[in-house]
Amino acid sequence: MSIYETRRQLIGKGAKAVGLAALANLLERDGAAAAMAGLPHHAPTAKRVIWLHQSGGPSQLDLFDYKPQLKKHHGTELPGSVRMGQRITGMTSGQASFPVASSIFKFEQAGEAGIWMSEVIPHHKKIADEITVIKTVHTDAINHDPAITFIQSGSQQPGRPSMGAWVSYGLGSETRELPAYVVLLSQQASVNADQPLFSRLWGSGFLPSRYQGVRLRGGKEPVLYLADPPGVSRTDRREMLDAVGALNKMREEAYHDPEIDTRVQQYEMAYKMQASVPELTDFSKEPESTFALYGDDARKAGTYAANCLLARRLVERGVRFVQLYHKGWDQHGNLPRDLALQCKASDQAAAALVLDLKQRGMLKDTLVVWGGEFGRTVYCQGRLTETDYGRDHHPRNFAMWMAGGGIKQGFQLGETDDFSYNITADPVHIHDIQATLLHCLGIDHTRLTYKFQGRWFRLTDVHGDVVKKVLA
Amino acid sequence: MKIQLLIAAAAVASGQDFVRDVRPILSDNCFACHGPDDSKRMAGVRLDTSDGVKTAASKIVAKLTHANPNLRMPPASTGRVLNAAQIDVLKRWVEGGTVFRTHWAYETPVRPAVPVARGRWARNAIDNFVLARLEQEKLAPSAEADRITLLRRLSLDLTGLPPTVAEVDAFLRDKSSNAYEKQVDRLLASPHYGEKVALHWLDLARYADTHGFHIDSHRDMWPWRDWVIRAFNTNMPFDRFTIEQLAGDLLPNATVEQKIASGFNRNHMINYEGGAIPEEYLVEYVADRAETTSTVWMAMTIGCARCHDHKYDPIKQRDYYRLFAFFNGVKEKGLDGRDGNADPLLKLHTPEQKRRDDFLSMRIKGLEAQVADAKVKPELEKFEQETPRVYAGLPGLKQGLLAQYEMDGTVTDHSGGYRHATVRRGEAAMVLTANGKATTFTTPSHLTFFDPKWGNEFTITAWLIQGHHEPQTIYRAPGLEVWWDESQPLPHLRRGAHVHVAIDGAHIRTRDRLVQNEQYHLAISRTRDGGATIRVNAAAVPVVREDAVKLRPAPQFEIGESADTEGRNGFRGRIADLRLYSRALAVEDVSYLAVHHRLTRMLDVPAKTRPRELTARLKEYFLENAAPLEMKAAWGELKRLRLEKAALDDEIANTMIMSELDKPRDTFILTRGDYRNHGEKVTAATPGALPPLPSDVNVDRLALARWLVDAKHPLTARVAVNRFWQNSFGLGLVKSSENFGTQGEPPSHPELLDWLSTEFVASKWDVKALHKTMVMSATYRQTSKASAALIERDPENRLLARMSRFRLQAELVRDNALAASGLLNAKIGGRSTYPYQPAGIWEEIARGEIFSAQVYKESAGEDLYRRGMYWFWKRTAPPASLTTFDAPDREKCVARRSVTNTPLQALVLMNDPAYVEAARALATQVMNEKDPAKRAATAFRRVTGRIPEARETAVLTALAAKQLRRYQSDPAGAKALLAVGALKLDSRIPAAELAAWTNVASVILNMDEAVTKE
Repeated sequence: MSIYETRRQLIGKGAKAVGLAALANLLERDGAAAAMAGLPHHAPTAKRVIWLHQSGGPSQLDLFDYKPQLKKHHGTELPGSVRMGQRITGMTSGQASFPVASSIFKFEQAGEAGIWMSEVIPHHKKIADEITVIKTVHTDAINHDPAITFIQSGSQQPGRPSMGAWVSYGLGSETRELPAYVVLLSQQASVNADQPLFSRLWGSGFLPSRYQGVRLRGGKEPVLYLADPPGVSRTDRREMLDAVGALNKMREEAYHDPEIDTRVQQYEMAYKMQASVPELTDFSKEPESTFALYGDDARKAGTYAANCLLARRLVERGVRFVQLYHKGWDQHGNLPRDLALQCKASDQAAAALVLDLKQRGMLKDTLVVWGGEFGRTVYCQGRLTETDYGRDHHPRNFAMWMAGGGIKQGFQLGETDDFSYNITADPVHIHDIQATLLHCLGIDHTRLTYKFQGRWFRLTDVHGDVVKKVLA
Repeated sequence: MKIQLLIAAAAVASGQDFVRDVRPILSDNCFACHGPDDSKRMAGVRLDTSDGVKTAASKIVAKLTHANPNLRMPPASTGRVLNAAQIDVLKRWVEGGTVFRTHWAYETPVRPAVPVARGRWARNAIDNFVLARLEQEKLAPSAEADRITLLRRLSLDLTGLPPTVAEVDAFLRDKSSNAYEKQVDRLLASPHYGEKVALHWLDLARYADTHGFHIDSHRDMWPWRDWVIRAFNTNMPFDRFTIEQLAGDLLPNATVEQKIASGFNRNHMINYEGGAIPEEYLVEYVADRAETTSTVWMAMTIGCARCHDHKYDPIKQRDYYRLFAFFNGVKEKGLDGRDGNADPLLKLHTPEQKRRDDFLSMRIKGLEAQVADAKVKPELEKFEQETPRVYAGLPGLKQGLLAQYEMDGTVTDHSGGYRHATVRRGEAAMVLTANGKATTFTTPSHLTFFDPKWGNEFTITAWLIQGHHEPQTIYRAPGLEVWWDESQPLPHLRRGAHVHVAIDGAHIRTRDRLVQNEQYHLAISRTRDGGATIRVNAAAVPVVREDAVKLRPAPQFEIGESADTEGRNGFRGRIADLRLYSRALAVEDVSYLAVHHRLTRMLDVPAKTRPRELTARLKEYFLENAAPLEMKAAWGELKRLRLEKAALDDEIANTMIMSELDKPRDTFILTRGDYRNHGEKVTAATPGALPPLPSDVNVDRLALARWLVDAKHPLTARVAVNRFWQNSFGLGLVKSSENFGTQGEPPSHPELLDWLSTEFVASKWDVKALHKTMVMSATYRQTSKASAALIERDPENRLLARMSRFRLQAELVRDNALAASGLLNAKIGGRSTYPYQPAGIWEEIARGEIFSAQVYKESAGEDLYRRGMYWFWKRTAPPASLTTFDAPDREKCVARRSVTNTPLQALVLMNDPAYVEAARALATQVMNEKDPAKRAATAFRRVTGRIPEARETAVLTALAAKQLRRYQSDPAGAKALLAVGALKLDSRIPAAELAAWTNVASVILNMDEAVTKE
């Protein structure tokens, strides 16, 4: 299909379709983004990804990694034979003692596989038969900036493309109506656990900038500068664009520069976008049942619940990669209170998203991933009391879950020791998670490469194995 | 240095060229296993050296075309496949005798003979080279552009700003034969020249106004940015420019300016994430310096050799760490930059500040000697012995004392009344504070006492520390409530809260915030007349009257709360010497408790177990209250001068610089690049494939910098001229301006590149002369108009049969709108500013808290209209309106920006308040023209430089007429549009007319031509 035909077809689809297509066009100056030659490498089981990143590092010990025997160790020193001199962060390396803190929360088994879940995530029990919980994810980094950069780009240091950028570079857009890669930020619910995010996390690194994530914001202006200035009506805008277009065409006659025509097209698309994007983020036509499912928070733009709902609306419209962030999981102190608050704001919506995708028949080819950048330590940071404790960063094992898109339903993988401090079976490295994600999308992670500064780079660097055990 | 003769464009018999045609195939497909990496070489075969190729030659074709796919090269596992055309190239290369050349970029350029050019087109040597290539391709150069286009192009290239209408007119009037050259000279002399050239340098130097990692708070590197602008404006030779930035601090008798320049390699990101491991980040900083320096001066991708030998270029892992070693001696910490710049830094005094600073430092030093420990100690010991240990307060202090709690870890009443308190919530623990023992509560706590049954008068006194930022109750009692509100950021990463006191209905609070985590003596009294006073450290402090509050019932005196209520929580912090009186204490009573009683509490702690902090406080107490007169006076003066110096320090700007440790850190090869895996220890040296350092120099950064600008260095001059070329012509002669290695692109005009490089060196690295040579060429002066056929033949314009036409870079898009509309504030240099930006961009991702650069505070007035290069650059959320136009995030060195064309760019130009306001300003500028056609033409000229054609004017006047009618019937709409932006509205102009013309001006600013250099 030639570029010209592509464009004409788009314009033929009517105002709304073209407006959303304009967003898709951010990623490809000359029409819709195309897949890389030779891709997919094999038949995909997932067409799209929703990555629910829980920024800060949720405590595996208080959510999925049930350690009943810790009760008897509560308050006693973590045995040196468990820690084995592993490095710890500068926040607790000065602590004189490392007392074990068992979880304050009650656990129950859910689903046919009997997946242990704590009382703070009751809604997750409803999706126990849909998800695979991996209790043995591990990472190389021990602090937020390098760890979150690592999980998002495969490298601890800045400069590499993010996962979503790799995927849109490899697979292009599944649809002409939206960008391949959309980013949603949700503010934290906990009190003391604020962690910053960085635009590099959804950046394109050395890939062309059209592959970077497009941040959609809640509220009246989901895309920056979308709204016309006050006092400028749609008719005014149309008249102005006609004038701009006419003047540009005159210039093109003299210069024959194809960029001029491209710019004319971009202005037309921008115009259509102004009408159609607000429709995308307008939930007023969602039935009451939607809000019953996701919770009332979903009515409030920018919340985690609203973003989960928006994620569903985006993938429905064919977005390839939705990267959602939820700030607020960094419980160094006041964990019982803050983790509960954080879960209260996210448990229902995350479960709702999986159920909603399922009822729409989309879960089978949508991969949903839930997890943070690392886990938390079994030993207490700060003061340990009967009712209060904190936990430091723990990179050696933590829990994530995946659902849909070729992942086993109702399954758990991996074993950790009695202290949830070391992996005893089935370690899964971040690069393995990334390799698995690409595998589900039909991509061989060793063959999705890009040449920069003379070297062929890939998301998984020179590592990564597909975690076959979690594949359906 | 070794000089190898160039084999001029070693074309082999088959008409193909090794550098252009053969080597890229080998490099991309074979070198990973048959290249420079010793550890990965397969079957001993090597295709990156002449000898290796000779040995392997006979087998190459057979391997490539092997019938068995499992034995065919390259192996399937590499994912690389050669197509028939590539195999054919290699076949012909083997047939032709495997002509091999060392990679061109590693050989010192030799000044090539300038080709003879036919005709009269060529103006300087550039044109001879370009024309020779065009003739090979059977193409002809394009005609010269018209004067207006030329002047606009020239102005944008040399200053980043469009010519004014007056400048265009002057040029059009000038009929002299050197009229164009005069414009070139004028623009090279413009102070905006330095800004324009510096702008490109900022991308290379990864300049930013924040640290980049994690919390990403602010830094001050603008003095370095100012230095770069000055260096280009004063035409500092590029060799000196190089030496001062890489090693200005190491020059003999380095000047302040040279030290500022050395900040080039402090522009990398810096981390202070709580919990991060310093050793890890020290390695990252040094790696960034080594890699940035290699990219900027040598276009070498040495980063690839951090973990293993380079796969394509002759760079060993050992080479990487030997280069790394040059940058590994900086006096820096792994984690730094919490509160502005990170060490090492240089204070930049004004002469007046310098004079005051010197004076204060000298005086402080003198006074410190007068109260030095050794001097004070004998007096202090004497005083300690002579001071009675027993409680001996003013007799009056017993009067009206209802209860007294030492709060030494217990809650026992020491007054004799046995009114002990009870801890209901939280846990009391004893700690030593600067005043001696205190009780600390780390979790929200609640203590109950007794009902004091106060009459009209009462006083509560205690030493208090607020230990948490959340609002919390201090005391409650019948008719009384005392609390801290939420503590808020204060300068120097502190926080503080007000103390509120509500007695019966009345509610007052302290005017100033008390600093969290600092200890204060707080006395709250009600006097007989019902008035309340708050004394802090015995002084009555200014208070603010607040709206009355309804008090919650309290049956007794209490500390803290039983639960979180009304947004307030239990008590968290420290408390000592709590006293309840049934009278309003007199000022001398409070003074005694706040000052003298401290002493007994301090002396309570035996000297042996006294923490250092407490010993220091005791000394302070002594100096303040009991020392011999002279010592006491010296102490008073010292305290005053220290405050004065602290205030002065806040005033003085500083900038990060390079500065060497006395003993540099050891450098090790890091296995797999990991900071924890120390391999062999190495010392600083230049990469083995490049010429060595002279044998008689001290091997340090200065030697490295001088080595880079040695006339025989094969890369530095080429890399530099190529980038200057790129910035004027759109693409470099080597398109991959960041990579001159074997995986980079070969030059389009190798001889021209070498001619320019040798010319640059011969001119003693004269940057302005180089720019002049480029813009004086006929090649540069060509029109960018082209036939569709030429564009199809050479879409990227590598052959230069025309001038390239491309969109302005992000900052210049905005600068041009500001300049054309007359809004531009042309001030050069100084601190960064905060133009319009949609709300929440920073805040949504930021940590908030007390750090800097977390909340975007828009500038006011003139600062809104500074050039784009001064826009405050927050790395984790760079200005959206600039990144939309492909500005990089400045986390890493960038040699070349991408150029995209997207609908988001249209949205910025149409709707960003900066452009809406610029449109209004542009319209305002032309309103004195009464004829619509003239008005449109003037606005058009201010943006494009040229007078519009009649048909263009017609489009604009037709729109103006329609818009005028529309706004005449919608005054509210006109008013709303004209209210965008901070620019004062010219009320003499009818609103409907100005609104209509604002939209016309917006159309002009949105034209492709307006954002394009033609």
